[in-house]
Amino acid sequence: MAAFSRRGFVRSAAAGSLLMPGLLSELLAAENSDATAPRSPHIRARAKSVIFLFMSGGVSHVDSFDPKPKLIANHGKQVVFDHPETKGRPGYEKLFLKKPDWKFAPRGKSGIEVSDLFPHIGHQVDDLTVIRSMHTSHSNHYNATLGMHTGSFAFARPSIGAWASYGLGTLNWNLPSFLVLAPQMPYAGTQVWSSDFLPGVHQGTRVVPGSEPIANLRPRVRSISAQQLELNAMKEFNELHRAKRADDPALEARIKSFETAFGMQSEMPDALDLSKESEQTLAMYGLKRGQSDGFGWQCLVARRLVERGVRFVELIHTGSSSNWDSHGNMADHGRLAPQVDQPVAGLIRDLKRLGMFEDVLVVWTTEFGRTPFNNTVENPGREHHNWAFSSILAGAGVRRGHVHGATDEHGIRAIEKPVHVHDFHATILHLMGLDHTKLTYRHAGRDYRLTDVHGEVIHEVLC
Amino acid sequence: MAALRTSAFLCLFGLILLTPSVSRSDDYFEKEVRPLLVRACIGCHGPEKQGRGLRLDSKSGWQTGGERGTAIVPGKPDASPIIKAIHGRDGFSRMPLNGKLTDHEISVLKKWVKNGAIDPRTNVPSVLGGMTLDETVNWWAFRPISRPAVPHGRFSNPVDAFIGEKLAQKNLSLSPIADRRTLLRRATYDLTGLPPTPEEVEAFLKDQSTDAFARVVERLLKSPHYGERWGRHWLDLVRYADTAGENSDHPLPHAWRYRNWVIDALNSDMPYDTFIREQIAGDLIAVHGPSEKYAARVVATGFLAIARRFDHDSDKSMHLTHEDGIDTIGKAILGLSLGCARCHDHKYDAISSRDYYALYGILESTRFAFPGCEAKQQPRDLVPLVPPAEWKRIVQPYLHKLASVDAAIKSSADLQRRHAQEVQAAFVKNRRPISQGEVADGKEMAFGESTSELQVNAGDMILLSVTPLKNHGADTTLVEFEVTEVGGQRRKWNATEDLLATAFEANPHADKHGHKQVWWFFDARNQPTLLHEHVLDLAGNKGLTAWRNGDTPSALINAAATEQSVWTKLPPKSLFVHPSPNGNVAVGWLSPISGKVRINGRIRDAHPGGPDGVGWVLEQFSIDVRKPLMAQAEAAAELRRLTVERTALAKSAPKQDVAYAVVDGKPADARMHLRGDPEKTGEVVPRRWLQVLGGTALKDKSSSGRLELAHWITSKGNPLTARVMVNRIWLHHFGKGIVKTPNDFGSRGIAPTHPELLDWLASEFVSSEWGLKTMHRIIMNSQTYQQSAEFREDASRTDASNNLYWRFERRRLSAEEIRDSLLAVSRQLDRKPAEAHPFPSESTWAYTQHVPFSTQFETDKRSVYLIQIRNRRHPFLGLFDGADPNSSTPVRQSTTVPTQALYFLNDAFFHAQAERIVERLLINPEADRANVLFETCLQRPPTVQERELTLEFVRKRKRKSPDVPDVESTKASWCAMARIILAGNEFLFVE
Repeated sequence: MAAFSRRGFVRSAAAGSLLMPGLLSELLAAENSDATAPRSPHIRARAKSVIFLFMSGGVSHVDSFDPKPKLIANHGKQVVFDHPETKGRPGYEKLFLKKPDWKFAPRGKSGIEVSDLFPHIGHQVDDLTVIRSMHTSHSNHYNATLGMHTGSFAFARPSIGAWASYGLGTLNWNLPSFLVLAPQMPYAGTQVWSSDFLPGVHQGTRVVPGSEPIANLRPRVRSISAQQLELNAMKEFNELHRAKRADDPALEARIKSFETAFGMQSEMPDALDLSKESEQTLAMYGLKRGQSDGFGWQCLVARRLVERGVRFVELIHTGSSSNWDSHGNMADHGRLAPQVDQPVAGLIRDLKRLGMFEDVLVVWTTEFGRTPFNNTVENPGREHHNWAFSSILAGAGVRRGHVHGATDEHGIRAIEKPVHVHDFHATILHLMGLDHTKLTYRHAGRDYRLTDVHGEVIHEVLC
Repeated sequence: MAALRTSAFLCLFGLILLTPSVSRSDDYFEKEVRPLLVRACIGCHGPEKQGRGLRLDSKSGWQTGGERGTAIVPGKPDASPIIKAIHGRDGFSRMPLNGKLTDHEISVLKKWVKNGAIDPRTNVPSVLGGMTLDETVNWWAFRPISRPAVPHGRFSNPVDAFIGEKLAQKNLSLSPIADRRTLLRRATYDLTGLPPTPEEVEAFLKDQSTDAFARVVERLLKSPHYGERWGRHWLDLVRYADTAGENSDHPLPHAWRYRNWVIDALNSDMPYDTFIREQIAGDLIAVHGPSEKYAARVVATGFLAIARRFDHDSDKSMHLTHEDGIDTIGKAILGLSLGCARCHDHKYDAISSRDYYALYGILESTRFAFPGCEAKQQPRDLVPLVPPAEWKRIVQPYLHKLASVDAAIKSSADLQRRHAQEVQAAFVKNRRPISQGEVADGKEMAFGESTSELQVNAGDMILLSVTPLKNHGADTTLVEFEVTEVGGQRRKWNATEDLLATAFEANPHADKHGHKQVWWFFDARNQPTLLHEHVLDLAGNKGLTAWRNGDTPSALINAAATEQSVWTKLPPKSLFVHPSPNGNVAVGWLSPISGKVRINGRIRDAHPGGPDGVGWVLEQFSIDVRKPLMAQAEAAAELRRLTVERTALAKSAPKQDVAYAVVDGKPADARMHLRGDPEKTGEVVPRRWLQVLGGTALKDKSSSGRLELAHWITSKGNPLTARVMVNRIWLHHFGKGIVKTPNDFGSRGIAPTHPELLDWLASEFVSSEWGLKTMHRIIMNSQTYQQSAEFREDASRTDASNNLYWRFERRRLSAEEIRDSLLAVSRQLDRKPAEAHPFPSESTWAYTQHVPFSTQFETDKRSVYLIQIRNRRHPFLGLFDGADPNSSTPVRQSTTVPTQALYFLNDAFFHAQAERIVERLLINPEADRANVLFETCLQRPPTVQERELTLEFVRKRKRKSPDVPDVESTKASWCAMARIILAGNEFLFVE
């Protein structure tokens, strides 16, 4: 009847600790000769984990991280472009430059300019690399969102989180290696975190705020001791079945998966339980005591998950509607930015406070930028713009207080050191210790990569 | 493999270099030209790379040319792209990219071309994609299917003979036959995806006849569940889904017919070649009769139609859909990755880009049913299930009527326009502006307070026009418009009040003083055209009435006492106009009196949030236009009557069932897309069969070529179709194929473990009229299939991965089998086939990338009938490694993840099935319950030990809930016990 002998011991030893000691997580992982067992990176890994913050809908770069004085000076000036979003569109025969709605100011010691849209992130700018020369291959939400996550702009392919999980395995067998905190469904749906042809174990597990953050996480049998009794009996029956089948690792793996699931029932709620966080910590994220939603909640939970060894945590800010897609009025950015500004800054400060900033890569991005022009001078909105946008890298192995690349004088095209989504992906994998040209998977007669046949690591953002 | 081939190739090339032909005419080439080509060109235009598709390492290489066509025009250096390129002329990048030719080298090349470009390099191996022609001839998968002799020996079953021979070579042997219960469970799952019933187990255990198992196989092959299980294997391969997969993931309400066709075809043991031919060209076969097969054959082409759609406007991304189609034909039927050749020749396999575009032309000559997409919500080109001629006969009378109504509509509309133009002409000359203004987004503005009294004559019109500002789109605008008589009878004309009196039943509309035609609502874009179309309860909103003319401009009234939520919130009892992006809507007051009036009113942008507001103009037209106006009103009334008639007629249109399928479109050869970019086209490639399989040209250029394609694929000359399919049949019986890469028989695939057996099966398959059921019989009646799954230490030391089949391999149930088994043992399974999903009706569709279709429909029918949404994987199927609805799935994965265990711990559906079982279980006396539970779930009684453990668990579990009534704790305890069994490995694995 020694049902949960070794694992049981390991887990109960780990349960008392807030930070899972490295040794224990290795002990747990070593027990499972599974697809998610930790694996050595190709090159020196700078980041153990990634927190990937995705702003859905398209954040305007010229209103946030890409100051363009000429855009203000030339406000109202007519421009001509063969732009994918305005070409042939009725009412868009003429295009006029349109100044930003927020003021920029130099921030921190680095003096990097950030607009008033993100004052808190601006305050942390000395910790960040701002890439101002991002560009992508499609101006449609669906395709650009798919591209930012999978490197493919049309076909279903594995997500970057699945690639990371496949490349490196997990550090905590009690939790999935790729978690997605997505209160709403994003563009392109579950494809955003799909493992596609990679083994299903690398698929992102969606976490939603509320009473059941992961499907079937909440014990249906209310008494834990009754559930434990049930699990012990299940193990006994399974062991009877296995007695004559000792050679088959799949049977054993399945028996173990129940122990893990049992652990997840408590480990996951524990990761989501913010009650032991101090007032100061909650305040950093702009959270009220007891609050269990909002981007601050997502950010703090993300920190707690990477603490527990989750490889890749993605946070999606709003889904496929009511998001950053401010066609009608840029004032909507003003509604959304405060939802993420303090939490993102808080996350960075918190990671630094805990000494985790060296080990965790924080990525902040969106699927594309917004047009620095529109069809009338008065039009208060901006359209989709894939020629240029801004993204942020911070933390493990990333230069601090650094700006990479530049757009032209009006923020229309990425002209200096342009960074395509493929390059961005190559760099993130590089920071995780993975060579994007070597991280391949044989599927249907071809070796697939996250970066397809493209991508260059941006060495200038590394430190 | 690839590296080996390349070095072999280079060696060969080196050899040629060292032993040049000595013919004098070749001297110049050998001395001057060849070294130059090798030094400067072949690195990027040779065996390693084919920059812009061009190879310069053989004569045929430059003759065929690259993206810009033939590289050399012998005798004409100036017309030869190669010479243009070394000069960087005519849009060519200067070659070589990483260096520069000397003047001498340039003159060498020019001289060579000028003198006729004599090139002796004919013995360089010809290449097809990533293989040399020699390699393709010798590649195992492309060789004709042989009929290897069945090895002599003690086995009567040929499968055993082939397997036994290889085992014997390693001093191994087959394992003994599995026990009967195991065998029955294995066969039942393999053929039907369901567990056997306790009765079936009992019958089989009792049947001691020698052919007992053979008869079980026959019984299972006759079961309608056979098609559901094996149909699902096929649906995996063809990435079946119930949605289109483009950005808004439009539903495919008719795709189910194809799904059911697959199931029916397998149940009826349709010969596999017919099965393939009908899926490629069923519509073209159908026209030859018999008529009772017409519908099914049309439906079969759903195989092509269900290719994934892409982007915002999927009509514009059909090149990607065709890639998906070509790729699926390649993987599912031929075991070749054809999709790779969209952008370039295949790097490893014998597939050229020309092969790809030869097939592409066939698909492009085909008209695909269109599912609807964000840009175009409504489907079109769905294919009727009756032949065109028959349908024509049915529909003709209706079309005649429709045409005559349409003609009448046109003449009424013309008449109305002529009268409107008369009005316009009169207005232009007699226009007197009163006031105008602009209302900012979401704001309002009153008018008329400052205007002085106006003198009007009967027949004058006062017109209020509203237009969106800056051409920025339509905007719903609330309008208040009141005319007050100064002196006289001091009558009032309030537009809203007058219209509310009869819920806006007419246009022109009466006032409450007895004048019939006072309020006029116009589409004022070109000339004041009376809005003639009357819509009650617009979009289902009670009391919301609109007048329009089939286009954006409209006038609306919310007669309801409550606010209406439509595209914006419309307050109660209010009048609105809705201008179009390119023009005005106008409200006119036709003066019934002569005298003095005062005007006042209010304009409010009622759809705030757009980027801008609306502009308005108030004008008086001091001329009596009643005559043309009344004439226009008459024409508009006639138009309205005809529109109503047309709507009623359209409702009576003969309806027919349709399929999501294809028919022939405009036949044409396709142009190459350079590097896969449809905007950059190259030469035309005639439609034909794959070069490596013969390259037969299309004979009948006046059709799409699908019928010929269907025959090429299933011809005896193509060894792939049969080999690939028998390998799949084997795979689904043994858990792995003889070829372990079932979708890839090319150079990157894994060679067969038993090539002779594979060929014997393939030849048997073809000679038995391509019968799947024949193959099942041969395989399942073998000892290889029937042997035990027990581990054998000795055998495992020689062949740890069981490549030689010394035992049967245990496998986890597939997602569908898990769910269906749970429903089966709980007796909740609805065994009748499903038909259509309950999708919302097409007319309500408004799916976008922001709000795509995403509803999962529940059912108690078999899991093959669950909805498959391309962009929202079914949570259960996703969790248990279900097929990818976006790409061909040859083998299901079998992952073990903790989230699966969470399902067995906590899922509501899972718990419910256990409860259903226990509800029946508790009818039995306590002493029998353990036995009944095991029989129900595992089709066997418990062992003594299991029985004791069961009873002990139930006792202990009851003690966990001492304070609930005994009935409840008993039920809870047995439910827990049932879950233990249902979540157990014995239930979840077949062996």
